[in-house]
Amino acid sequence: MTPLRARASMPSGTGALAGALLGVGALLRSQGRIIWASGLGRIGAAIILFFAVVAILAPWLAPHDPWESLRDVSNRIATMRPPSWEFPLGTTTLGRDILSQMIHAARATMLIGLISGAISIVIGANIGLLAGYYGGKLDEVLMRLTDIVYGMPFLPFIIVLISLFGRSQWFVVLAIVVIIWRTSARVVRAQTLALKERQFVSAAKVRGCSDFRVIYRHILPNILPLLLLYTAFNIAWSVIAEAGASFLGFGDPDQLTWGGMLYDLWISGKSRVAWWWFAAPSIAIVLLVSALVFVSRAYEEVANPRLRQR
Amino acid sequence: MREYIARRILYSLFTIFAVATVLFVMFRMMPGDPTAQVISPALDEASQKRLKEAFGLDRSLPMQYLIYLKNLVTLDWGRSFTSSESVFEILIYRTWNTLLLMGAAMCLTLAIGLNIGMVMGWRRGGKLDVGGTVVSMIFQSAPPFITGILLLIVLSYSLDLFPTGGMHSPGVRPTDLFAFIFTSDFLDHIVLPTITITAYYLATPMLIMRDSMLEVLGSDFVEFARAKGLPPHVVMVRHAARNALLAVTTVSSILLGFAIGGQVIVETVFSWPGMGLLMVEAAASHDYPVAQASFLLLAVIVIAMNLIADISYSYLDPRIKVGS
Repeated sequence: MTPLRARASMPSGTGALAGALLGVGALLRSQGRIIWASGLGRIGAAIILFFAVVAILAPWLAPHDPWESLRDVSNRIATMRPPSWEFPLGTTTLGRDILSQMIHAARATMLIGLISGAISIVIGANIGLLAGYYGGKLDEVLMRLTDIVYGMPFLPFIIVLISLFGRSQWFVVLAIVVIIWRTSARVVRAQTLALKERQFVSAAKVRGCSDFRVIYRHILPNILPLLLLYTAFNIAWSVIAEAGASFLGFGDPDQLTWGGMLYDLWISGKSRVAWWWFAAPSIAIVLLVSALVFVSRAYEEVANPRLRQR
Repeated sequence: MREYIARRILYSLFTIFAVATVLFVMFRMMPGDPTAQVISPALDEASQKRLKEAFGLDRSLPMQYLIYLKNLVTLDWGRSFTSSESVFEILIYRTWNTLLLMGAAMCLTLAIGLNIGMVMGWRRGGKLDVGGTVVSMIFQSAPPFITGILLLIVLSYSLDLFPTGGMHSPGVRPTDLFAFIFTSDFLDHIVLPTITITAYYLATPMLIMRDSMLEVLGSDFVEFARAKGLPPHVVMVRHAARNALLAVTTVSSILLGFAIGGQVIVETVFSWPGMGLLMVEAAASHDYPVAQASFLLLAVIVIAMNLIADISYSYLDPRIKVGS
């Protein structure tokens, strides 16, 4: 593999930023093509795209207010209705339309996943790059820190944090981010350790590049594919973690998420009968997370040459 | 080697200490009255004051921290707000229940995962390989509460094959835990939670074993074993799989770290009286002494498992000369 060179002749300032954005765009397009080339990857990408469109258009797509207790033709509250033409996915004990809840929940669920995934990958990448590049004391300190975070049980940490500070989606995001950067930090560090011995890095140093420039213009472009892979993982883990915390009753009570819908079902005690109420959010969570896993698996087969079909 | 193990143990102790410190800071940052974390607000004025002195909550923050550490080490973890029993007593009983379920699930996961993963890698692209990859990835994507409730709906509510939760039937009082494990009543109760955890974690060891087999199969010694004319299953099990197992050991520590989260959920769904359920209930009812202690104990389990994985890895791989 020839190293991806950052364009050394790039002008500074806004030109550089535009160039960097173009570079990222081109990278995403080329990496997207890799995912599209595999059958599983294509299925995954299509599912993610579908949920993304639903999440963006949620207020226009949902047929009812997700919190409203709906009434049927005879003006009684439509509680616990199985799927019908009127309520395609049925209703809850309070007569709320599950289809509308699902559509709104897609928004919050995906947003929490995306934000936690993005922030955690930035933190993980930087810690890994700095630890790997500088080595020595800094490496020791950062890796001990990573070890400590590895000692934190993930879901229990979210639960304790929420129980102390209150049920808000921002505390859920904070708790997720504080924990999941650890995996990407270790992987990026290992990759940086290998890359910094390569000739193009010493060449850049000899040319008088600052450490900052070597790290972010020469090493970072080469780990971008790895970062994309771990972004997908981090989003998947965040979605699972959020769903778990919400299911246990530690989600934001003002935000509809798929995990929160299952919590409502569980505490209503109707899980014996209301199969439709269980089915819709469960299928959505499984579909979204497996789509992310399929995409990353398809990508990994290519990004890791050892696994490539011989 | 001995020096390496000693250092790993030291690091682990340090990590436990650091987690305890983070916990202390978190509880002090909590909005509202910080003393509410050890003293039940339900108590009368005089007892609150007495307890405040006993826990050193009238002292300075660094002093409080020292007292907190001392109490941790001397196993003086306070009393539950809800039952006013000693936290340590409650936790001891719960720990066994958690370890039982976790142990059963881990053994099942590894036994199934490693064997199927081995064959998947050996017959790359075959039906088992493709099917196993997709099925295990879907189960991995289903958070354990989904698999758990699904199992409950199908096998308990509809078919009435298994009990819906708990560790024993009402009326059955286990006196001797180890004799109790071998009763059919207990086995009935442990089946569903074990399957749920296994389904969730199966993908990790299975796919890693598969990938690791693929890497090993490309190496010379496997080629050589084949050239010697050894039967294929001997090459697969004795030569390839043995070496492929190494990669699984490293990743098993990551698996175990995640396992705790699944444990908490499964215990809640199946009302399994373990530490996970205890923690969820304590956190929900703001019973802080219990929540704090059970979190710390869960962390200790994670750290201890990481340590075991580290040490066994260094034993298994003779190429690693650690500490030298």
